[in-house]
Amino acid sequence: MASNPQKTNDSWMGSRLARKEDLRLVTGQGKYISDIVLPRMLHAVFVRSDRAHAKIVSIDTSAALALPGVVCVVTGDDIVDELRSMPQPVLLPNLPAKYPTFYPLCVGKVKFHGAPVALVIARDKYVAEDAAELVEIEYEELPVVVDPEAALEPGAPLINEDHDDNEIFSMTFTGGTTQAEHDANDKEVEEIFQNADVTIKERFRVHRTGLTPMEPRGVLCDWSDSDGLTAWITTQRPHIDRLAIIDLLDIPADKVRVIAPRDQGGGFGVKAPFFRENVIIAHMARKLGQPVRWIESRYESLMNVGQERDQINYLEVAATQDGKLLALRNRGIADNGTGETGVYWGFVMPFLGAVELPNTYTWDKADVKLRVAVTNKACLTPSRAFGHFPTRFAIERAVDMIAHKIGMEPSDLRRKNLIPHLPYTSTTGEYYDSGDFVQVWDNLMSHIDMAKFREEQQAARSEGRYIGIGFGTGVELSGMASEVLVPMENQPGYGAASVRLDPRGTALVFGGDAPGGQGHETSVAQIVASAFGIEPQDTVTTTGDTATTPFGSGTIGARGASYFMSAVHNACVEIKVKIARILAHDLGISATLDDFEFVDGQVVLRSDRSVKKSFRDIVERIIMHPINMPPGEVGGLEATVYFEAAKPMICFNADFCTVEVDIHSGEFKITKWVSSEDVGNVINPLIVDGQMHGAIVQGLSNTMFEEFIYNDQGQQLTADFENYKIANAADMPDIEVTYSPSPCPHTPLGTRGIGEGRPSSVPGALSNAICDALLPFGIEITELPLRPGAIWKKIQESQA
Amino acid sequence: MQTINVKVNGTTYQESVPIRMLLVDFIREVVGLTGTHVSCTYEGVCGACTIHLNGEAVKSCMLLAVQADGHEITTVEGLANDKELSPLQKAFNEQHGLQCGFCTAGVLMNMTEFLAKNPNPSDDEIRHGLIGNLCRCTGYVHIVNAVRAAAKSIAN
Amino acid sequence: MYPAHIESYYRPTTVAEALAAITRQPEGDSMFLAGGQSLMQAIKSRMVRPTSIVDLQSVAELRGIDQANGLRIGAMTRYVEIAEYEQFPAAYAALRDAAERVGDRQVRNRGTIGGSVCWNYVASCLPSVVLALNGTMSLASADGSIRDVKAKDFIIAPLETARREDEILLCVSWPKPPPKTGSAYKKWGLVTDALPVVGMCVSISLDDLGKCRTAQVAVAGLADGAQIADAGGAALIGSAGDEASISAAMNDVADSVETHSDHWADASYREQLIKRLGVEVTLRAFARARR
Repeated sequence: MASNPQKTNDSWMGSRLARKEDLRLVTGQGKYISDIVLPRMLHAVFVRSDRAHAKIVSIDTSAALALPGVVCVVTGDDIVDELRSMPQPVLLPNLPAKYPTFYPLCVGKVKFHGAPVALVIARDKYVAEDAAELVEIEYEELPVVVDPEAALEPGAPLINEDHDDNEIFSMTFTGGTTQAEHDANDKEVEEIFQNADVTIKERFRVHRTGLTPMEPRGVLCDWSDSDGLTAWITTQRPHIDRLAIIDLLDIPADKVRVIAPRDQGGGFGVKAPFFRENVIIAHMARKLGQPVRWIESRYESLMNVGQERDQINYLEVAATQDGKLLALRNRGIADNGTGETGVYWGFVMPFLGAVELPNTYTWDKADVKLRVAVTNKACLTPSRAFGHFPTRFAIERAVDMIAHKIGMEPSDLRRKNLIPHLPYTSTTGEYYDSGDFVQVWDNLMSHIDMAKFREEQQAARSEGRYIGIGFGTGVELSGMASEVLVPMENQPGYGAASVRLDPRGTALVFGGDAPGGQGHETSVAQIVASAFGIEPQDTVTTTGDTATTPFGSGTIGARGASYFMSAVHNACVEIKVKIARILAHDLGISATLDDFEFVDGQVVLRSDRSVKKSFRDIVERIIMHPINMPPGEVGGLEATVYFEAAKPMICFNADFCTVEVDIHSGEFKITKWVSSEDVGNVINPLIVDGQMHGAIVQGLSNTMFEEFIYNDQGQQLTADFENYKIANAADMPDIEVTYSPSPCPHTPLGTRGIGEGRPSSVPGALSNAICDALLPFGIEITELPLRPGAIWKKIQESQA
Repeated sequence: MQTINVKVNGTTYQESVPIRMLLVDFIREVVGLTGTHVSCTYEGVCGACTIHLNGEAVKSCMLLAVQADGHEITTVEGLANDKELSPLQKAFNEQHGLQCGFCTAGVLMNMTEFLAKNPNPSDDEIRHGLIGNLCRCTGYVHIVNAVRAAAKSIAN
Repeated sequence: MYPAHIESYYRPTTVAEALAAITRQPEGDSMFLAGGQSLMQAIKSRMVRPTSIVDLQSVAELRGIDQANGLRIGAMTRYVEIAEYEQFPAAYAALRDAAERVGDRQVRNRGTIGGSVCWNYVASCLPSVVLALNGTMSLASADGSIRDVKAKDFIIAPLETARREDEILLCVSWPKPPPKTGSAYKKWGLVTDALPVVGMCVSISLDDLGKCRTAQVAVAGLADGAQIADAGGAALIGSAGDEASISAAMNDVADSVETHSDHWADASYREQLIKRLGVEVTLRAFARARR
């Protein structure tokens, strides 16, 4: 626990540097969206549907409008002719799907409990809420569909009436592109299953859960006729949001600026989509000529966003008697909700979940198909472990079930089937660029003595105590190359950064992504300090403002250390080349960048270290005194660099945990959690540790506590933290994160982006540990969440 | 409207406020100290709005501003002494006890009082003391480390 | 998420002033505010809309724990004070078990025993404890009269008690504890210290031979709120504190109360929790009674 980091080898790379962001955050000086106040600012409150599926018969806004302090009340009918509907092309993936048409406020009917029906704008937020209560809506109930399998049945009530069924998306992921190729593949898979020594077939169900940033969403829009729209949005993608607003509101491109506040209270994917609320707030600010702000309540947040997972996977696995995995066959069904969310539309997550099904294992063949159903629920929004939390739970459980069937240690079976060498293209076509799965696995296993554990387990059982160990592995995308992101989300994957040196020798860095707690300012400062030989405090990073930053697709999919940081580094190198050129000219020598070392605030000639110049002096000379320059050279030191890796990249982890289960109550305690990570070269291990801790606990919380529950009528019953339970500190274990890194060959610093997909190995590892503890009862967990009551019931049933 | 006198971080504010105004809104919008945050909005379970009322950690979203009339409040902005960070604030920085920072003010206020009452806590006691503060980023590991480190630093 | 309009706010310093303030408004429009850890939720979600608030924070006579004559806990005594009070006799130790696990530190710094029993939320700890311990609620009226109501008559149904809206709860009190008496409380929730999915409170008095002479069992977390389980009390009589007899008694409790299913636990799991927690707290109550 080094709290006083030193730079190593004249580099800040790999240093446990305490974060730059913290000083303002521990003293209450952070600036989050709700801290931004403009003169004459109005407050917006949405009136949301209390029905899941109903025709809007009438809306009476007169009582609300009559309340003193209320500026306006708008409904769907009021705005339908004033702005464009979604989808617009910028918000459409390049995937064939039945995209619903919709407006920021419901028009004609409501499709889920919590949908925005009207908007109240008032001078005071308390009054806005008073008025929202007075909006009277008459509904005519429509049949409600909450079960995804029922939604796909022929004749099921239609939810999105612009399409002829509720299947928003379906895909076959294996065996080529034509039906004939698919059929041939599926036949081969069937043959493997027919001839296999051992097979399992289960229905794996993962409930609706996801992430809930501590800061809910918010939008503040300001309009001026000369400058146009400035929109502060809690977002991971300010540049995408800007394009969407331009298109939806038909505002000239030079008249829209989106700013993601420097401080955002977490995102985790939830703030990555483009939301309908952004559009109407921007529209009303323009219409009223006055700033309008909406700050989401927790109730609204839990009604509308952060809902993910929610898949049924009918998974079959075939293997040999000695534990070689042969083939997998999966029929996935995902519950999409309404589909009314820009960029993802709900189904993009289960799409990736199906792609990532094979995980870290080798398979001879696979047959993977997915159907995604529209239901009367909130649209799925991305949540860390994008789409693959349910499929990874299924595959990691299936691996253990095979091990149980053939009487092999699950850890041995895993090692036997790990992909032995990278690069590798998975059976669903996902490219794994580099790394060493086996090395990471062996590092994990060096932290547990399996023989000893089995002895302890036996001894414990004889005392009536049930302890168990469970394993899980995970591969995740380290950012997304354009070749992945363009088809998937219709956006570029490259990272972009501008680095500008100040005449006083400090650095300003600009990035178009929009972090929410990942520590970008610190990691960037470490890279810049290492590049220029300056101190980390000499770098200031600006993110999230579309007016000052180069285009970035956002803080998503572990793009930080893979793409953005690589762009920062390359921009520094570009500037260094220029500095070296001018310095060599000034020194009257023939030298290039390789001849100089940037260290301790000096630029030193390697061949004669007495020849040096202070970094600040040379920077000031180039920016402020651009005379006597090399031929053709001009002053100034600034570079904007776009970085695209040669290949899509991954990172990899393996976990184990131990548990003790009380068979009389089904309660369990996690007694140990150890992870082994290949995250490439680490910029700041303190930050990476923190990312891993957070991701693992998010996975645990999703697995054990959190569940969005809709009843048969589509009423959402869990729109507060009393009912949507998030893990607190007393319920979570300490976590030991260990590293077995291999530098990424596709990034200039060998770094990999990390953390996005990290929660998804958790539900399998934990469930496997519980099943291991309860092996004498022959219990196999196939459904989440892992509630003590459900575990106790399984124990009861096994004894009956 | 009712006129109240509240001392916030040593400065007395005499303000006229609606009776229904929540204390957290008084702190954020009337006094203008925005380090105290609102996350769960109405339930009082997340702890992001935790302040000290007469030295005790309480959730400022669960009080009306008028209830604080005549009392002393400390917010996260009042923790540092003349720009010198408190040992707990320092420990949160050194141990990476925060990521997005949204829950942090509440955690610091709760744990400052906790450490005053429990100068030598076990990890279990720290975790139990943190139940009233939800954090979504850190998984609590570094928060526990920071509180433990601060306890040591205060003891020395 | 914000309170509806509130017309007036009073902060009396005596019970008499408080009662005068509460009767100033038409019945139902005026509410006492104790620690506010439940009521403010209801006010903010607009489940209740008092036009007048009578804040009891400054009524000194409502505060404090006093054992001069039995045990008297002022209605405005906070959970933190109960949790940190080290002089409870074994007979009333369940109060501390419950108070130190209510909500979280911040809630315990504000929330009060009086507020909890008067609000009587469907899933809460203190109502079941005052039931099992057979506490006496003293209610004062504006005319100066005080009436004592036994807990079993006070706790009626979720969000419903015997307190009239113009009455103020002064204290919960108990006589000097009978000898060889012990009590204990424990709850189960999905996360640590959550509201009880099931809570069990048991009070036991032993005879000279160490056998259970009288017992009272209360269950928290039922669909109808906290309830006394007479079957459990009766079944424990004569028990020597052995696990078999206690277990049998708790089976009787589980059989006698109606458990419900919700997303935390189904009815059969609630029964199992009643048995498991019941055995644990009864053993602890026995141990305390023997001390």
